[in-house]
Amino acid sequence: MAAAAPPPPTVPAELNMDLPTSYPLFTRIRLAAKPDVPVIHKMIHQMAVFERLSDQCSATEPSLAATLFSKNNPFESFTVFLIEASTTPFPSSSSTGVNHKFIPIHKTLNLDLPISDPESEKFTSSTMEDDVIVAGFVLFFPNYSTFLAKPGFYIEDLFVRESYRRKGLGKMLLSAVAKQAVAMGYGRVEWVVLDWNVNAIKFYEQMGADVMQEWRVCRLTGDALQGYATASGTDGLDLI
Amino acid sequence: MATAATPPPTTAASELNMYIPTNQPLLTRIRLAANPDVPAIHKMIYQMAAFQRLADQCFSTESSLSTTLFSKDNHFESFTVFLIEVSTKSFPSSSAAHHPEFTPIHKTLNVHPPVSDPEPETFKSSTMEDEVFVAGFVLFFPNYTMSVAKPGFYIQDLFVRKSYRRMGLGKMLLAVVARQAVEMGYGRVEWVVLDWNTNAIKFYEEMGAYVVKEWMVYRLISDGLQAFAATNDLEK
Repeated sequence: MAAAAPPPPTVPAELNMDLPTSYPLFTRIRLAAKPDVPVIHKMIHQMAVFERLSDQCSATEPSLAATLFSKNNPFESFTVFLIEASTTPFPSSSSTGVNHKFIPIHKTLNLDLPISDPESEKFTSSTMEDDVIVAGFVLFFPNYSTFLAKPGFYIEDLFVRESYRRKGLGKMLLSAVAKQAVAMGYGRVEWVVLDWNVNAIKFYEQMGADVMQEWRVCRLTGDALQGYATASGTDGLDLI
Repeated sequence: MATAATPPPTTAASELNMYIPTNQPLLTRIRLAANPDVPAIHKMIYQMAAFQRLADQCFSTESSLSTTLFSKDNHFESFTVFLIEVSTKSFPSSSAAHHPEFTPIHKTLNVHPPVSDPEPETFKSSTMEDEVFVAGFVLFFPNYTMSVAKPGFYIQDLFVRKSYRRMGLGKMLLAVVARQAVEMGYGRVEWVVLDWNTNAIKFYEEMGAYVVKEWMVYRLISDGLQAFAATNDLEK
């Protein structure tokens, strides 16, 4: 956090020294936009390190900007929510960062300890509001259920920066996606988890999600996918 | 629990069986589906549900399919359906099947063993071309991989009608989605398989795909979804 948390209140000598203190953290979930690409890019790399896949991370700021933010059609295509945090309240009348397609969601958390965020300078919000730091993101997009003949949402990535973990921010992001699905009359929300990520598995089970135990994801990529390009690998399919 | 939508009516009693003897050519065509194809797609979805023993969980109707799949003409940017159609005669060269974003793909197969289709009239192509019948479909849509900052395709459904199985039609549908992904510069094509379906896994591995071993799929649906969405007292 750029600004130090307010110092704990001084306690007069005659009062009980076991008074609890709590540190409010003001959070906001909003739609991301092109100006947020630099912080999203940094978080993607941190996420890749966490997943032990950083050698496979080739996203750049221009490629993210071109593929995620070339059109303003959130919820119809790839969509990113950011969760931002501040030690000072967000102004209630602020319209900064508001995309008319989504009204930001606020929640005040009461923490036992102040946040210690050594990288806060690198994650200041693109809205340029004082003391607002990006703490995480969720990327999701519509999928389709044939049996329901309804869209749903698929959550591709959910990430909370290390300094902000275990405070409910991931759950807030998931909940925001679920609310959006329900508001749009969608049928399902789906995602995948790495089978060694015991914290995440416990979290998902507690929130009432079902694991599709027998499902395995199949993937065609790299050279194997390139083999299907026109004029090769298609067993004599003719073009009219 | 809402009752499942009633399945589409069974074929008229007078429907003639279509029979193609061994070693006769079967001409196939893959094209983009459109709104007029909804009735055939709807029937195939019910056949697919029956095959998966999930017919009581199938609630799709012609109108819900039409609204969700074909209300906008934004192929490949959203939910997309390819149909594979068959005929014993050549497809006309100027065709109702053409779409500005996708030129139909043709292949001629030699039938072995013979094909017997008991419901050709039910699956007559919406293009109204003579003797052209819908044999299967694939439904897919864009997904996104953050680490490479590229879209891909996710294949939700792949279905070939019973009379036309084991001739390579499913493989053709998969190959065409893969080709479309490559042409659009996309990075991956993905789908799911049941872990006990060794035949399917073998088929997919032979096509060059691999099982992503560490991933487990989670899902929030119906009551669980409603309940979770209602929690957390998030303020606006």
